[in-house]
Amino acid sequence: RRKDRVFVWGFSYSGALGIPSFVKPDAGWKKPRRIQPTPYRLETEEKISSAACGYGFTLLASNTRDITKVWGMGLNKDSQLGFQRSRRDQTKCYEYVLEPSPIPLPLEKPQQTRVLQVSCGRAHSLVLTDSEGVFTMGNNSYGQCGRKVVEDEIYSGSHLIHQLKEFDSRVVQVVCGQDHSLFRTKKGTVYACGWGADGQTGLGHYNITSVPTKLHGDIAGVNIIQVSSYGDCCLAVSDEGDVFGWGNSEYLQLASVTETTQVNVPRHLPFKIGKVKEAACGGTGNVVLTEEGNVFVWGYGILGKGPNLIETAVPEMIPPSLFGWSDFSPDTRVAHVRCGLSQFAALTNRGELFVWGKNLRGCLGTGRMEDQYFPWRVTVPGEVVDVACGVDHMVSMVRSF
Amino acid sequence: QRGLALGTPATGGSPGQAPRTGSITVSVAVRGPRFRKLKIGAGHRLDVKASGVFVLGIGHGNKLLTDLYNCHLTKVYTVGGLFGKATDDFSDTGNLVEKTTFDHITREKLERILAVIQGTNQKALLMYSNIDMKTQEAYELAVKGLIRPMGKSPPIITAIRCLQFALPEFQLEIHCLHETQQYLRKVVHEIGLELKSSAVCTQVRRTRDGVFTVDDALPRTQWNLRSIQEAIRNCQLKVETELEKTLA
Repeated sequence: RRKDRVFVWGFSYSGALGIPSFVKPDAGWKKPRRIQPTPYRLETEEKISSAACGYGFTLLASNTRDITKVWGMGLNKDSQLGFQRSRRDQTKCYEYVLEPSPIPLPLEKPQQTRVLQVSCGRAHSLVLTDSEGVFTMGNNSYGQCGRKVVEDEIYSGSHLIHQLKEFDSRVVQVVCGQDHSLFRTKKGTVYACGWGADGQTGLGHYNITSVPTKLHGDIAGVNIIQVSSYGDCCLAVSDEGDVFGWGNSEYLQLASVTETTQVNVPRHLPFKIGKVKEAACGGTGNVVLTEEGNVFVWGYGILGKGPNLIETAVPEMIPPSLFGWSDFSPDTRVAHVRCGLSQFAALTNRGELFVWGKNLRGCLGTGRMEDQYFPWRVTVPGEVVDVACGVDHMVSMVRSF
Repeated sequence: QRGLALGTPATGGSPGQAPRTGSITVSVAVRGPRFRKLKIGAGHRLDVKASGVFVLGIGHGNKLLTDLYNCHLTKVYTVGGLFGKATDDFSDTGNLVEKTTFDHITREKLERILAVIQGTNQKALLMYSNIDMKTQEAYELAVKGLIRPMGKSPPIITAIRCLQFALPEFQLEIHCLHETQQYLRKVVHEIGLELKSSAVCTQVRRTRDGVFTVDDALPRTQWNLRSIQEAIRNCQLKVETELEKTLA
């Protein structure tokens, strides 16, 4: 029978990999492992259905009906992993969580509600449930948790987990940017809250927003089927295959429609690359996947077409041969694209994982410490089902053959 | 074919006169059969215990064989293995060295070993290709699928996966370069050792050699002139494009 496994790699000292022996060796002869350069298996009690990497921390979620549905590990200085009671002092909270620890959610029906998806930003997290809305925790200095900003609030050791239920329909996707949050509902509308200095909330101003508010602009009336963000730029894909963007454009992310470096209202990006299926936003670069299975990149940084392509405002296609397509396997296609802060990942329909970008503290998982200028296969023992990219670490959900 | 009237002069000349028309070197009767010696060259070796695609070159094809060798194209093998015993020559016909249990082996464990093999070989691929991964040239080569050692190198496996798994038997598909069939048998033996058991190789079958696949290959029943001619004609274009792509 095929087993589901979780593999982690990247920087381990924050605890984000969830392997305590890397940080605090459990035997005298073992040495601490600062970086895990290749995929390492993480033992989990339950089958993990959703994972998200934040800035130095990780959330794992299972869609089980059991009481414990979400685990967190890594940085917890803003209680982005909830309150993790210290064993030595019951009143204190752990600042670093070294192994996957349950996050207690204040659910009304803990034995019925299921967690569908999790997302992590710089210092806040979002948990999406099927019937009890969205739970937010962590830093709220800019209203990114969807609740009123409390002056001089101390986030460390906080028990507060906020619940958001007021949307026009059920929320089906939650996305964390660096210090803002995006919510996509079943009706195809997008809500945002949090930091807005780059226009990343898309609400027509550059102020912070502490209540999830509906976006308009070019996406008004459009059925959005996917949103993405990780830094300060945001992308949305409609059911007709159009791409919309807002937020930071200092790195040419939105230069195809405007010369301004901040866009605070969703704008349609008139790319002629075919119907877009999925988009992913990084810190300085963006990637989209079309219905035909082609991968296009634009923005700034290591984009995946060799060291010569450092920036482009218009999407450029990465040749499919770099993802394993050849005359002898013409059915190989990219199925998903993902973005970390300065790296990209692509999953093919054969279950292979390709990565490229800056190899910050071994986050690419290639086994080498150099940056990767074009897609390179990561050796994983199994079929990679999904991958979550962070700043300096990655988590993947793998199914054994 | 110009005929020759030997001994029958065009006009009623005397037998002593030499014939006036036609060259005497064209006739089969004078010259002998057109093909007396046929230069046939063999491509990549296939040892006695293995089977599968074996590329040969005829006449001008021998030069193409050398060119194809310099392309360093990958070959694909179907390798069959059997857990439970180890022999001295790694195949199932050798002298038995040891017997072991294998019930603890699962497909997942095998996959893990295969992933490790692929990983170490990928490193070797990069090392022997002598390519600086930070250059635009490396990107261009990767797009064309040309990142491979273009010179001498130890055997490198570019892809390996498990096709069938039914204890104690298993079947692997191996894409490799600069290999020998004995090396592949050794790989099976080492897989057995890594899984804390032992394995022997029961079958090595080459299913592709560069551009030539099993479909292009002629089985024993078709080892005749017509089929050979047709086969050469069908593969000509493929060979030319591959040579152009790699050696250009």
